[in-house]
Amino acid sequence: MIEFLQFLVPGILIGGVYALLASGLGLIFGVMRVVNFAQADFMMLAMYLSWALFAGGIGLDPFLAMPGVFVVFLLLGMAVHWLFIRFVIGRRENHDAQVILTIGLGLIFQNLILIRYSSEPRVVAPSYANDGDFIGDIFISRARLYAFLLSMLVAALLFLFLNRTATGRAIRAASENWEAATYMGIDIDRTNRIAFGVGVALTAVGGSALVTFQSITPFVGLRFVVVMFAAVVLGGLGSVGGAFVGGVLIGIIQSVSQVWTSAAVKNVWVFGLFLLILYVRPNGLFGKVQRAI
Amino acid sequence: MLETHDLSAGYEGVPALRSVDFRVGPQERVAILGPNGAGKSTLLKTISGTVTPEVGSIRFDGQDLLALSPHQRVEAGIVHVPQGRMIFASMTVADNLRLGGHRSAARQRHDERRDLVLEIFPALADMLSRDGGALSGGQQQMLAVARGVMACPRLLMLDEPSMGLAPRAADEIFEGVAALLQSETTAMIVVEQRAYEALEVCDRAYVLESGEVALEATNEELLGDERLAAAYLGTEL
Repeated sequence: MIEFLQFLVPGILIGGVYALLASGLGLIFGVMRVVNFAQADFMMLAMYLSWALFAGGIGLDPFLAMPGVFVVFLLLGMAVHWLFIRFVIGRRENHDAQVILTIGLGLIFQNLILIRYSSEPRVVAPSYANDGDFIGDIFISRARLYAFLLSMLVAALLFLFLNRTATGRAIRAASENWEAATYMGIDIDRTNRIAFGVGVALTAVGGSALVTFQSITPFVGLRFVVVMFAAVVLGGLGSVGGAFVGGVLIGIIQSVSQVWTSAAVKNVWVFGLFLLILYVRPNGLFGKVQRAI
Repeated sequence: MLETHDLSAGYEGVPALRSVDFRVGPQERVAILGPNGAGKSTLLKTISGTVTPEVGSIRFDGQDLLALSPHQRVEAGIVHVPQGRMIFASMTVADNLRLGGHRSAARQRHDERRDLVLEIFPALADMLSRDGGALSGGQQQMLAVARGVMACPRLLMLDEPSMGLAPRAADEIFEGVAALLQSETTAMIVVEQRAYEALEVCDRAYVLESGEVALEATNEELLGDERLAAAYLGTEL
């Protein structure tokens, strides 16, 4: 039992961060039905920004840097939407263009970073990186605890934004029915731009929550892209809350499976459960979209 | 107030509107009648901006409406209650109403407008915290109209408000609209299959057939002429 808890607790902690990464992807898909394959590379860029702020002289703690990271990536996401994404929104025949555009952006990000910083892994190691506390027999890493708490805080703010502000309500309305939202006087291009910016910023913040225990390379996104997509599909396409639950679930499975099998096969368990849930509930746990692509 | 000139529109080459001249005066209530596929909904969509016409012009208060994007037309006061209701099913009735009042001229007046729509459709008052998708068809239609009223429209466009409803539910909708028109000076366009109910709340009617205006007449002319009534209103009632 203790052994189980020793794996469950870290699973929940990392799952909270996965949840944040996935909710950004889920928000973008839910609102504009664009699958953003560059999402994990925005995360990678945010990790490099956190690293640069920490290692680059000013020694800014990645958790303290997060509000700044959020704002930078909110603006970057809105700019990328304005420059590129808005031209491939909508119609069914645009899906190919969306896939090519977002994969292309991801490749460009990866290679720009590769040129600038090489492929050498970068590490952010603040003084507490290896600290932790025992609660009973369960060890809780301080860095992971901070990452989890911060993810929960951001998720709560996202919930308030979507439910309690006029812009948030407009985003939810546009996500549910863009034509009806248009008749309400909602500027769809604007809600898309904001949703894309917020979605990118959520994943960026999730990425910078990871840097104290995850080394950074130009291709670190590939390690998380699968988790993010699995979480979004598991939770149900079009549901931000679903993506969040999916993320937590995947963190728990990856960790708890190590009670029985090696860490090397943890994603086999993830996809086993993934297939099982989709077999029972083809639209995911909280799915709204019947057939999107 | 609103005037279309030589308006034509189509879907992928299939014409839906052919050279339509249509006019709504200030505070006027106009019915658009006609069979399925006559272009009635398309006409409303070209006015609200979700369909772009191929040729022709639309002016609203002298302004070129086609130069405005759809949300700017709502800001100008044109509010479209679409066919099929299009309620935000996963959002509460209260949030649906709040979205109806998204227009900047309506935001400050939210409480006042909500009191008004709950007076017109008292059935909604007990359901404010329910999800839109949990309402019956009649209640959803009430909500759709109420959502439009929330925007303080200058021109309110109702597309088939009675579609798919039982006669009694449809009556409730028309009673609500009639009550609204007693207190409001808004202009209105009603697209309806139930011609007689629509004419009760309107001053004038257009009959569309195959995308063309087949007839334009006042209520008295239409209802007073048996031959016209039989030809264009069917034998209902």
